[in-house]
Amino acid sequence: MAAFILRRLGALGVILFGSSFILYNLAAISADPLEELRLSLDPSRDAQITALTRELQLDVPPPLRYFLWLRGVFGIFVGQPNFGTGRDGAAVIESLSIAIPVTLRLVLAATILAAILGIMIGIVTALRQYSRFDYSMTFVAFLLFSLPIFWVAVLLKEYLAISFNNFLRDPIIPITWIIGIGLVSGLFWASIIGRNRKLFWTTYAVAFILSSGLVTFFGVTGWLLNPSLGPIVILGLSIGLAFGVTQLSVGLINKAALRASLTMAGLSIVAFYPANWVFDNYPGPLGIFLMICGLITTAVFVGLAFSKIDRVPIVRTSIITAVLSGGLVLVDKFMQTWKPYMETEAINRRPVPTVGERNDLLNSTDFWISSLDIVTHLFLPTLALTLIGFAGYIRFARGTLLEVLNQDYIRTARAKGLTERTVIMRHAFRNTMIPMTTILVADFAGVVGGAFITETVFAWSGMGTLALQGIRSQDLNLLMGVFFVTATMAVLANFVADLLYSVLDPRIRAGSGE
Amino acid sequence: MKLSPRAKFALTVGASVALAISLLAPAQAATRSTVVLHQTNPQTGLNCSLSTTNSTVCTEAASLTGMGFNYYNDKKKLVRNTIFGSYRVVTNKPNDFRVRYTVAEGRVWSDGTPITGVDLLLSHVTGSDEYSKAAGLGDPASETEKPAFNGLLYTSTYGKNIAGDPVLSSDQMSVTLRWKTPIADWDLYGPGPSPVHALVHLAEGKTSLQSASANLAAKERFLTAFKAKDSVLLKKMGKVWSEDYSITTINKDTNPLLLISNGGFIVESAVPRTSMTFKLNPRYNSGPKMDGSIDTVVFKLITDGTAATQALANGELDLYAGQATADVVAALNKISSVNVLGGEVAVYEHFDLHLDTVEGESAYSGIFSVKGGARAKALRQAFLLGIPRDEIMEKIIAPINGVKEPMCTTWVSPGTAEYDKICASNGSSFYSRGTQESRNKKALALVKRYYPDAVKNPVKVNVLVPANNTRRAAMFAITKANLAKVGFDAVGDVQSGWGALLGNGKYDAFFFGWSSGSITQRQSCDVFETNGQANYIMGLSIKRIDSACNSMFVPLKENILLTKYILADRALFAEAATLPIFVFPAVYAVNKDLKGIKPNPLSPNLTWNYWEWNY
Repeated sequence: MAAFILRRLGALGVILFGSSFILYNLAAISADPLEELRLSLDPSRDAQITALTRELQLDVPPPLRYFLWLRGVFGIFVGQPNFGTGRDGAAVIESLSIAIPVTLRLVLAATILAAILGIMIGIVTALRQYSRFDYSMTFVAFLLFSLPIFWVAVLLKEYLAISFNNFLRDPIIPITWIIGIGLVSGLFWASIIGRNRKLFWTTYAVAFILSSGLVTFFGVTGWLLNPSLGPIVILGLSIGLAFGVTQLSVGLINKAALRASLTMAGLSIVAFYPANWVFDNYPGPLGIFLMICGLITTAVFVGLAFSKIDRVPIVRTSIITAVLSGGLVLVDKFMQTWKPYMETEAINRRPVPTVGERNDLLNSTDFWISSLDIVTHLFLPTLALTLIGFAGYIRFARGTLLEVLNQDYIRTARAKGLTERTVIMRHAFRNTMIPMTTILVADFAGVVGGAFITETVFAWSGMGTLALQGIRSQDLNLLMGVFFVTATMAVLANFVADLLYSVLDPRIRAGSGE
Repeated sequence: MKLSPRAKFALTVGASVALAISLLAPAQAATRSTVVLHQTNPQTGLNCSLSTTNSTVCTEAASLTGMGFNYYNDKKKLVRNTIFGSYRVVTNKPNDFRVRYTVAEGRVWSDGTPITGVDLLLSHVTGSDEYSKAAGLGDPASETEKPAFNGLLYTSTYGKNIAGDPVLSSDQMSVTLRWKTPIADWDLYGPGPSPVHALVHLAEGKTSLQSASANLAAKERFLTAFKAKDSVLLKKMGKVWSEDYSITTINKDTNPLLLISNGGFIVESAVPRTSMTFKLNPRYNSGPKMDGSIDTVVFKLITDGTAATQALANGELDLYAGQATADVVAALNKISSVNVLGGEVAVYEHFDLHLDTVEGESAYSGIFSVKGGARAKALRQAFLLGIPRDEIMEKIIAPINGVKEPMCTTWVSPGTAEYDKICASNGSSFYSRGTQESRNKKALALVKRYYPDAVKNPVKVNVLVPANNTRRAAMFAITKANLAKVGFDAVGDVQSGWGALLGNGKYDAFFFGWSSGSITQRQSCDVFETNGQANYIMGLSIKRIDSACNSMFVPLKENILLTKYILADRALFAEAATLPIFVFPAVYAVNKDLKGIKPNPLSPNLTWNYWEWNY
């Protein structure tokens, strides 16, 4: 194993060296940093050209200049990497350290959401193979797959930001919308749940009434201007979550797990007012973190208290329920912040932004308002990236699960008389995750590289923007800095995927491939 | 008090109606006090005179935060800022030309320190090669050694023409510059104020604002060092000036000494490649009084044109100042809450023909070479006649800003009386008379004189085409199509590194844009005179232009200058060397409530008149 890792790390170094050498020279040859100056009519043009040549060492031929750059990079080994200075005067390493967190914020949430949603819907489509739901999801997946992000972004901004903000000035929901939303939601749920005609239409009717009713309620009460869930709704949702999580995790048959989950759901409502008190008086990430820790600890004890045997799955179930229903309390807090947020001068009752990472005019010291500002700014980019990203996961999860379901061990499991839940969740789902790891890891490497187009259309300045700036302003140091980080991440991600494979699948052993 | 039931009823109804009206009427929006300006390039630092920071965004920011003796207005006229101070010529002799700059009493920096003549001296340190060498700050012309003040101001008009060091008056409010000879546009090269006390404090490692007496003492220390050419303090100040101001992250931890300025606004915060926020400077008195209600200005970086239009529609921007394309203009026109303003930037698109070998470039002996005599000249005329300028204007420029007339001279800018006078007699009418069809006929006749079967066997012309520019690609396509009608086969060589290829002997024709950052007397001389300083790519050598340009170094009266322009321009058109086409179009869209935005073709395009902005 050690030999394998060493060998791979060695190869990694060679790949990085070769590719950076090639890229450096290509970039240096293709761009002329003096171009703009050559066209200038400025009287001090010649002085500027001299100064720039001196700054950028343009008199050294690119292949040799590469080694000057490399010398700085080798500082990594003594803890002092020097990626040089960008043409804007900022140290490249500083620009990178600002851009990486921005990119992570932009792409991480979207990647995780896309993976979770995609895998969930993919599994449902696989279980309902060749159903209406399967066909429509396949259609949606291919549709989203083929949409360019800049176009999706334009549409989302037009409808979810500009039009929605206009709508919020006078939020009266027209009847056509109420019926339309009901019809679509009915179709969605009915095609998932409805196995026969009767069940189909019952589901349809219930979903229709619920959704239309909810939308009407929102419209009539002005909920959109001052939303909140309130303890009762949270309790109801928490109980629902407790049942759902228990069913998926261990099955409702496990009464101990159900009781533990329900207790946690109940506790989350007991904690509603104290939690809000903490939110108001000790705002900040530390308070939230401590409360999450407290919540998980309680969940562990509750899980242990209700179980006698086979404790791990029960504790797991109660932790998941606790975190989800605790999340509802947090969501409720954000909803309560919505109204004061909308009323700040900077927001001016147009809460959904189309560009940027935060509102530059918002000068609020309130933790919740500034956090909500970050959330609203994340909304459209995350939605756009999720929409486009999750299509791939749907198809991949569906295909993989179908393949796994045809395996002999699934037939064996069914023949043993295991419940369908156990067969799917324990035997099929886990094996589906092995090939999924590959794309997950590859996606994560891509995350750091940034999303060029998404960043541009949403005016975020992450790694993609840095790379574009490097190309546009013929800034070799900056471009190489971005390249170095993304290339390292890509190579490392492949390496990690290989290692993960051997961990996840005992049949594969790294380093024994001779 | 007793009320009759009817009165009660009336009161109730009245109250209900009032309530209903107050609920129905849209809440009176509080007057905005913020302006969010669109930027398409990231900001680069606070000192714009460095090679790393010299950008239009930096100039826009500097214009908000600093005021000097003059500025360009939207008519491209240099306006004196008499509130800040005054300047006048005190000696006007052929070998002794002196200008005195006086700061008005009572002007202050944003930290309250009075602005004096001492603050005007730093621009001599950063601009005079002689001073830099004499004070041991390094030779700016050296190709290996960086000078202490490592900026772009050396080796320019100021450094070449200044004589000796500026003289500070005894009351320390005036500075007298002495030029070697009277120089044209001398008012462009005067000193600007720099907060030298802040630089001294920074050089001495201070990290917070200092007391009033400490500030005055620091100013004195600089003055002593300046007079004694004390390289120790000056070198430290140079390091601060060249490096410390190059910050793109500004927040509460930023050294406040770096932010001292004298403009209407002070930098409050900046996030690299994202935004920059300016707050009102409460002590501002160096320029016209602000009559607006604006207390915050934000520069927001949005590189994508569509994203910016949508942000404008969503109220996140107050002003769009991005790409000028017909699509963007159409999108902007659809937004009901903004006014769309067409505009121009001082860049002139033009066709240049290759006349002779340029020094330092490969030899040129193509069809347009002056060695070809009358034949080459006829071909040049035919080629320029064949450029369908009206069609280019109509298809490419008019949809953006409505301008349909092609340019007829580059010596002064369109829209002025001088421009019309020059065009009337500079010979440009040869290329604009009649319709394109009649011009085509004329051109074809000229070509056929030397190439009788040019229609079947067109004359090959190698044109350098700049890559990555859709407008130029469209322009070349239109031009190529029309040139084919007059017997030319324009072969485009699309190059991304075209800037370095200008003047290369391979090409017969070039087309690109000249950008000019200021309006000077010698305007296009650097391009057209023999071995001109900038963009000398055609190998042009015309005696009449040379002599006209040589006489433009000294200040000239307007009517004399005009005759010289006409003389030079006539020679240029007679030689059929170059043809101007259009001024780069710009488009701005402004929030309808925001008043006073007047785009300026010169940089800074937008912030030059911030004191006139209001809601």
